[in-house]
Amino acid sequence: MKFDGTTLHKYTKEKKVGEGTYAVVYVGKQEFSHRQVAIKEIKTGLFKDGLDMSAIREVKYLKELRHNNVIELVDVYMSPDKNLNLVLEYLPCDLEVLIKDTSVVFKSSDIKSWLLMTLRGLHHCHRNFILHRDLKPNNLLLSPDGELKLADFGLARAFGSPNEDLTPKVVTRWYRAPELLFGAKHYTGAVDIWAVGIIFAELMLRIPYLPGKDDVDQLDVTFKALGTPTEQIWPNVSSLPNYDALKVYPLPSRQELRNRFSAATDKALDLMIMMTQLDPSRRFDTTRCLQDDFFLEQPLATSPKDLPTKSSGGDEKRRKTNA
Amino acid sequence: MTIPATTRPKASESGKSSKDGSLTPSEKKYVSSDDLYRHSSQYNLWSFTQAQLDEMRRAANEKGRKAALQRFEAARSSAEAENPAVFAAHGEELTSNMLELITYEEEQVFLRFICLQIIQICAHFNMPTQVRATAMSFFRKFYLVHSVMEYRPKNVAYTIVFLAAKLENYFILIESFCTRIPKTKAADILGLEFEVLQTLQFTLLVHHPFRPLWGFFLDFQLALLHPSPVMYDVSVDTIGKLYDQAKTWLNEYALLSDAPFMFTPPQIALAAFYDCDKRITDRYLRLKYLSEGPDSMETIAEEEEDPAVSKHKQTQKEQYDILVKTLKRCIVVAKQELPTSREESAKIDERCFFILSPQKLLKKKIKAFSA
Ligand SMILES: Nc1ncnc2c1ncn2[C@@H]1O[C@H](COP(=O)(O)OP(=O)(O)OP(=O)(O)O)[C@@H](O)[C@H]1O
Repeated sequence: MKFDGTTLHKYTKEKKVGEGTYAVVYVGKQEFSHRQVAIKEIKTGLFKDGLDMSAIREVKYLKELRHNNVIELVDVYMSPDKNLNLVLEYLPCDLEVLIKDTSVVFKSSDIKSWLLMTLRGLHHCHRNFILHRDLKPNNLLLSPDGELKLADFGLARAFGSPNEDLTPKVVTRWYRAPELLFGAKHYTGAVDIWAVGIIFAELMLRIPYLPGKDDVDQLDVTFKALGTPTEQIWPNVSSLPNYDALKVYPLPSRQELRNRFSAATDKALDLMIMMTQLDPSRRFDTTRCLQDDFFLEQPLATSPKDLPTKSSGGDEKRRKTNA
Repeated sequence: MTIPATTRPKASESGKSSKDGSLTPSEKKYVSSDDLYRHSSQYNLWSFTQAQLDEMRRAANEKGRKAALQRFEAARSSAEAENPAVFAAHGEELTSNMLELITYEEEQVFLRFICLQIIQICAHFNMPTQVRATAMSFFRKFYLVHSVMEYRPKNVAYTIVFLAAKLENYFILIESFCTRIPKTKAADILGLEFEVLQTLQFTLLVHHPFRPLWGFFLDFQLALLHPSPVMYDVSVDTIGKLYDQAKTWLNEYALLSDAPFMFTPPQIALAAFYDCDKRITDRYLRLKYLSEGPDSMETIAEEEEDPAVSKHKQTQKEQYDILVKTLKRCIVVAKQELPTSREESAKIDERCFFILSPQKLLKKKIKAFSA
C-alpha cells in the first residue's frame, strides 16, 4: 500500500457524537491505519468571511502543541463540499460528564491526578506563550486510558506581545477570572490558572463552585465566595472598567473555606487559595502550582489508568451528545 | 548553537508520568526557550540552508514551467478542435513557443516586488507589525513550494494578507477588505485560502524576531546599565534609540529576506542590534558570553588558572566567536539586495496572466490569423 497524500488523508465518518457552537463532531476512522478519530466538521454559513476564524486558530495552536495532556490534531482536510474538517484524537469522555455522574466516587488522589494533568497541559501551553482562555470541565477530555487532555482551542491566543489589547469576553462565565469580570484588556496566563482553581473546587464539591446566572450575578457570586477585591489586596483594581458599585464582601476566613471544602487537606486548600487569588499577580503560575507540596503529599495522584472513567455497566460511552 | 532567547526564566518541565506510572511533579528537567523553539513547526518544517532554498525555488520554477506547458497543450487541443482551418494553416506558429515562460531569475525579482507590495497593502489597512510580518512569512513560504506560473502572486498576496489579519487578531470583514482594494472579488480571495493553508502545511504560528528583540532590549539595559553604566556614553536613551533602529532594521531587511528560514528569531534579533551598533552589541555579548565584568581586565586573565576554569573560558570564547560569525552571516543574508522595478514587474505579471490563461493567448493569435 502506498502512503501518498490521498490515502493518508482519507477518513470515514461513522456517527455524530456531538455538536458545538461552530462544529459538528463525528467519530470516524483514518482509513489506512484504522485509527479511531474524532472529526470536527466546521459548520459553513455561519462565517461568511472565508475559513472559520475559531477553526483556523484552533489549528494554529494545536499544530504547535505536542503534549500528552493536550489533544492531538491528527490532520486537517477539506471535504468535497468545501467544509473544513479537523481530525482530532478521539476522546470519548470529559470531566464534566464524570462530575455529574453521581454514581462515580472521586477519591482525593483522583482529583489530584486530574488537576495535575490539567496543570501539565496548561504549563505546556503557557511556556509556548499560548493562553487557552476557555478552560472548563467539558473542555477537559479523557482518553480511554485515563489521560486528561486540554481541548477546544478555538478561543486560544498568543500572549506576551506588548501593546496589544485583548478581549475580556472570554472564558465561560463560571470560570471567568475577576480581572475579566472587571473588563481588563490586558491579562495573562493567570486567567487560565483561575479557571483551573475553580475546576479544582468543582471536583471537590461535585457541583459548580461559582454558578453566576448572568455577568452581573457572576461578580456577586464570585465575591460572596472569595471576598470583594479592594485596593488594599489588589492595587489599582478600582481603575478597571467595570469596577463600580460593588457589594463589599469580606475575604472568607480559613475556617469558612474549610467548612465548605470539608474533605480538603490543608495543602489542597492552600493550593486552591493560591490559584484563586483575586489579584492576578498574586496567583500562582503553572510552574509554581506544579511544584506545590500538595502533589507530594500522600495520597499521591492516582495513575491515569486507574482513574474512574465512567460508571460501570453499559458499554455505551456516557458522554453527553449535545453541548 | 544555543542563544538565550530572552531573559525569561526557564520553565520547569513536568510533562511525563514517571516509570512506575504514578504522577509525580518532582522530576525537574529544565527546558529553555531555545529548546522550545526547536519543537516549533517553524524550526522543524521551515528551516533551510541557502542551498536548500535555492534548490526548492528552482524546483518550484521547473514545476511551474511544466504546469504552464500542460495547460497550454490542453488549451491548444480545444482551440484546434474549434478552429481546424486556422490550425491547418498556421499550426506551427500556434505552439507553446508563444508562451514566454518566466525564468528562475525573473521569478525571484518579481516575487521580491510583490513582497514590497504586501508591505504597502498592510500599510494601507494600518495593520500592526505582527500581521505584516506573518503575511510576509506566509508569502515567502508559499513561493518556496509553488511558482508564479501556477498561482498569480497578486491574488495570493491578497489572500495571505487577509488570512494573516484573521490569524493575528486584526480581523477585517471580507467586504471592507475588497472595497478598499480596487478590482478584487471576495470569491478570488477566499477561494485561495485553503490552498494557502495546505501549502503552509497548516503551520500558522510564526515566531518573529520582535519578541526576542524586546527581550534583548531589556537585557541590554540590565547588563550595560546596572548596577552602574558599563560604557561612559551609553544611557537608557542610547539603548532605546538602538532598539528603535533595530526594529526598523527587522522590518526593512530581515523580514523580506531568507534570514527567517536560516536563523532563529533571537539570532535575527541580535543581528539587528549588531548591525545597527556593533560597539554596544559587542560589549553586551562579551559581558554575557565571556563573563567580562566591568572590572575583568587582562591582569586577571594573566593569573595562573585552574585548568578546568581555563577550559571553561576556552569554550566560552568559542561560543562567542561562533555567535558573532553567525550574526555576521545573518546580516549578509538579510541585506542581500535584489533590485526590482515596477515596469519589469508589470511585464512579468502580464506574461503570467497569459501563462495562466493560455486560451486567451491562443484566442488573440487566432483572431489575428483569421482577420
Ligand atoms: N476529540 C473528541 N472526541 C470525542 N468527542 C468529541 C471530541 N471533541 C468534541 N467532541 C464532542 O463534540 C461536542 C462538540 O465539541 P466542540 O468542541 O465543537 O464544542 P463544545 O466545546 O462542546 O461547545 P462550544 O463550541 O459551544 O464551546 C463536544 O461536546 C463533545 O461531545
